[in-house]
Amino acid sequence: MLVSWKYRPRNTIIQRLDPRSRLIFLACVILGITIPNIWDIRLIFPLFLITVGLYLLARIEWKDVRRTWLFIFILIFFIVGLNGLLSGRGGPTSVMQDTSAPLFSIPLFIPGTTWGFVLKITIVRVFFAMTQIMRMLSMAILAIPIPYTMDPNIYGITFRRMGVSDKVSFTMDLAFRFLPTLARDLSITIDAQRARGYEMDSLKGGIVARLRRLAPLIVPVTMQSTVTGEEVIDAMDLRAFGTAPRTWIRALSFAPRDYIFMGLGLAIFITFLVFKFVFGVGEFWVPPEALAWANG
Amino acid sequence: MEKKSLWEFGTRQVVYGAIGAALYGAFSLLTNLVPLPAAGNITFRPAVAILIFFGVAYGPWVGLLAGFIGNTLGDSLAGWGFYWNWSLGNGIMGMIPGLAMLMIQDYKDKMDIAKAIGWGVAGIAVGILFSSLTEMFVGGIDLNTALVGYFTPAFIGNLVVTVILLPILMIAFAAVNARRGR
Repeated sequence: MLVSWKYRPRNTIIQRLDPRSRLIFLACVILGITIPNIWDIRLIFPLFLITVGLYLLARIEWKDVRRTWLFIFILIFFIVGLNGLLSGRGGPTSVMQDTSAPLFSIPLFIPGTTWGFVLKITIVRVFFAMTQIMRMLSMAILAIPIPYTMDPNIYGITFRRMGVSDKVSFTMDLAFRFLPTLARDLSITIDAQRARGYEMDSLKGGIVARLRRLAPLIVPVTMQSTVTGEEVIDAMDLRAFGTAPRTWIRALSFAPRDYIFMGLGLAIFITFLVFKFVFGVGEFWVPPEALAWANG
Repeated sequence: MEKKSLWEFGTRQVVYGAIGAALYGAFSLLTNLVPLPAAGNITFRPAVAILIFFGVAYGPWVGLLAGFIGNTLGDSLAGWGFYWNWSLGNGIMGMIPGLAMLMIQDYKDKMDIAKAIGWGVAGIAVGILFSSLTEMFVGGIDLNTALVGYFTPAFIGNLVVTVILLPILMIAFAAVNARRGR
């Protein structure tokens, strides 16, 4: 199943923002979380609320994002969340080295044998799973509206005006334009192969057989795209692409609201740096009361 | 016939960098729900074979752009967000096989396919190692987790995918080229 999107102009404050300010804000939030390596839910929760607020301001219709959200919920809650809850993986070392008393234990043994292990769910892992979900959602919620609310025609100029070279900007612009087309080609190929009796989800055979079974999908789509690429190159060469500095049809300009928005992003970034490196706050945190309660 | 240059960055590189990125993003989306066992938040990606193929066929710039932009697209649309170190690692993973572009003369020749796989494996090793080690700073994991929990399963998964799917893509590409007369 592929998730594709539909850009639609909406009269919202988010769409009135300059695309550069949105990307700079996104970069500030991601770098604010990752550079000082913030795992403290006391810092992540307010950020999560801000990102939810911004998402709601984008006013994306539920029918447009329903499949995307389903996909994200499965990924974040069932894969990342459960992974964090059961194993503590994907987070700081302190979670992996958790020695707190288990809230409850689940024995997982092969019946009739002593092979297996006892799965211990601790308060540390519960908090880690919550923090991890919120941390990922904070970054994802900012990224999700972009394809729905940013005109695909302005990706190139946006990156160009952020200092990226003409050719790299145009590569990004083209990649965003090609993605829905190739996703649609892939979807059509899956349907066509299924009509011929192809079983993508068949569990028969080992890993090699299952990977080989992907060839009827990967090969036609990839090869068709290489042929398409030659046609695009010919068209661009005919228009003398790359022989002189490029001009872009759309012009971008910052408004006061953009400075406010970028200022907010910068403030989040600096706040997280200050909390981590000046006050030493930002490591993975569990309320002491919860720990004391769990340890009896 | 026009002589190929390894580090040329012209229309061909722009277009195939974009197509490679879009393909890598689209196929990654398809499998971004399949986590690797024993790893942190790492997914199984058959699309890596496409990335290596684009590097081998069109050079290091195409591999770098396809890996970096494609990973960013796939992750963002799947809801993972943006992780610069994994995007850069994917870029490296596509760029290193691109260094073999001029060594590949015949896409259906066994020796050339072996060379492509060898460079592809080198790219996977360096790219994934870069991402796994930088995860120590970004994600706060220790060296043991970086090597055992991230690098090893991701490397093995990508290695298997490359060894199986890259030859199929190269042979198909040879047929397409022959039919096009290029």
